[in-house]
Amino acid sequence: MIGPSRVAELDMPSAGIETGGSRPAQSYWNESWERLRANRIGVGAGALILVFAAIAIMAPLVSAFITHYQPQTINLDQTFAKPGSVHWLGSDELGRDTLTRLVWGARVSLGVAFLTVAISLTVGTSVGMLAGYYGGWIDDVLMRLVDTVLAIPAIFLFILMSILFRPNPFTLAVIVASVGWGAVARLVRGEVLSVKQRDFVLATRSIGARDTRLMARHLLPNVLPVLIVAASLGVGQIILVEAALDFLGLGIQPPTASWGNMLTNAESYFFRSGWLVALPGVTIFTTVLASNIFGNAVRDAFDPRLKS
Amino acid sequence: MPETATAKHITRAWTVNDPLVTVGDLKVWFPVATGLIQRSAGYVHAVDGVDLEIKAGETLGLVGESGCGKSTLGRTIIRLVEPTGGSIKFKGEDITHVRGGKLRALRREMAMIFQDPYASLDPRQTVGDIVGEPIDVHGLAKGKQRQERIRELLRVVGMNPRYADRYPHEFSGGQRQRIGIARALAVEPQFIVCDEPISALDVSIQAQIINLLENLQSKFKLTYLFIAHDLSVVKHISNRIAVMYLGKVMEVAPAGQLYKRPRHPYTGSLLSAIPIPDPAVELGRERVLLKGDVASPVDPPSGCRFRTRCPRAKPHCAEEIPPLETFGQEHLAACFYPLD
Repeated sequence: MIGPSRVAELDMPSAGIETGGSRPAQSYWNESWERLRANRIGVGAGALILVFAAIAIMAPLVSAFITHYQPQTINLDQTFAKPGSVHWLGSDELGRDTLTRLVWGARVSLGVAFLTVAISLTVGTSVGMLAGYYGGWIDDVLMRLVDTVLAIPAIFLFILMSILFRPNPFTLAVIVASVGWGAVARLVRGEVLSVKQRDFVLATRSIGARDTRLMARHLLPNVLPVLIVAASLGVGQIILVEAALDFLGLGIQPPTASWGNMLTNAESYFFRSGWLVALPGVTIFTTVLASNIFGNAVRDAFDPRLKS
Repeated sequence: MPETATAKHITRAWTVNDPLVTVGDLKVWFPVATGLIQRSAGYVHAVDGVDLEIKAGETLGLVGESGCGKSTLGRTIIRLVEPTGGSIKFKGEDITHVRGGKLRALRREMAMIFQDPYASLDPRQTVGDIVGEPIDVHGLAKGKQRQERIRELLRVVGMNPRYADRYPHEFSGGQRQRIGIARALAVEPQFIVCDEPISALDVSIQAQIINLLENLQSKFKLTYLFIAHDLSVVKHISNRIAVMYLGKVMEVAPAGQLYKRPRHPYTGSLLSAIPIPDPAVELGRERVLLKGDVASPVDPPSGCRFRTRCPRAKPHCAEEIPPLETFGQEHLAACFYPLD
């Protein structure tokens, strides 16, 4: 089959005005979206994350109308209940409903992950864009700052930060992002360095456009694909980091439920009630796996290097 | 053409008979940075003392080998590259160091057409936005008027106005080049630097683009600096031709004159390298083959730049830089021992 873009390749006579087709324009975004949609597994993984995110957003409704438990409601008559009709996924040592806590925990885990990615991308993109576009001493200063940030062992920084600030979802996101933006800045700077060599940047300058316009209208759209890929692959990674911090007691503090601290809590009852470990573990595993599969699908669909 | 801001800054009355662009002793040097601390280890003398005049309404062809500084010269004249020394005058006004608002006003009078029709259009923008960007940048039109102007520009370059909402990758090289030309025309410039606009195109398309450029020139009274790397291409379109070698202008002459009677040995060798599509003539003619490679622009030869490869070079050529001297009407060449 001849693709739609073949039609335009037939050059027309110099003065000729063709009868234009009504075929929709093939923007890069349309084509990438089509490629992504064609990837069944990737779409499935993305849908799973969307479902988890929707459940997390609607956690109070789930609590009120579906499970009929609050995440911190203690019921000492119902400790270590097995999964069943009363507690669908069982209860913990204080009789708290596991399903409800997983749903509320999704708020924390996914919320922190998305927020962290958003902060890392915003800061990293700004820094990388300025460094790559202006070069010279601005580049030197900003990139040495990035080198410094990336040279600090993350775990020590996390420990220090969680001592200084009592971790809540927002401070936790800021703490994790304070390390994550460096990699994004490097990525964006590299892309900008490559994109700004292309003639259309010179063409834009030749018509008198200001730097801000050049960066916002030309450089950003051209580095956006790598940002989208970085974001989709980043979510899974950050869920893991956040869970690890919670597990170590450096993250979200009990009694607030998070997937990570549910694991910590369940550790002591591993042999007695294995599902208390298995459920948050499987949830984390599934979410991270889905994020990575989705991230890879996004990369396959959006990577600019696959297409001019 | 509406009156532009630059017109107000003219100190001396500029008339149509004066050169539109005057370049005096223009130098563009790029530092060669080496090592970790970026210490400067000399300069690339990309443009090294160029004097040139471009008359209003003419096409000045600029030829030379790759790396001789012709693109840099073109970009410097329209102030996309900072000059190291010398002066650039546009319509009698010194624009060598104008900045800010005056430079932006100048951008409405000069435009550029690029060599690579693939790299010179932003792949994430629609054709309409590419052609409309100069209109937006200078606030020339809004809303419906803007759309109408974009359609008109596309029509002028022989494109279907309906293509405005398509993306560059949906078009062929020739069509993309038309889009680039439409963008250049959007500000209604007087002067356009054409940086090898047809080098990247199929031969069959080259003629179309050349014809389009010529039509536009007579329609909009444009002045072109037409950069190319071989003489056969510029012969057709140029009124006068300047030959550059290693950052310097070697010869300037009316196109016909340059072909009939080149004075500089470098021009002579370039002309003898043009293939003639007739085997009998091709067999019988004498070739001037140059020895060696172009000298390094970081450390150019003393005296005449071309002497290291010149078949006519004598000791004197190493001692003094030959100035551009007059050889008949409008014919200048920089050589101590010119061809007859």
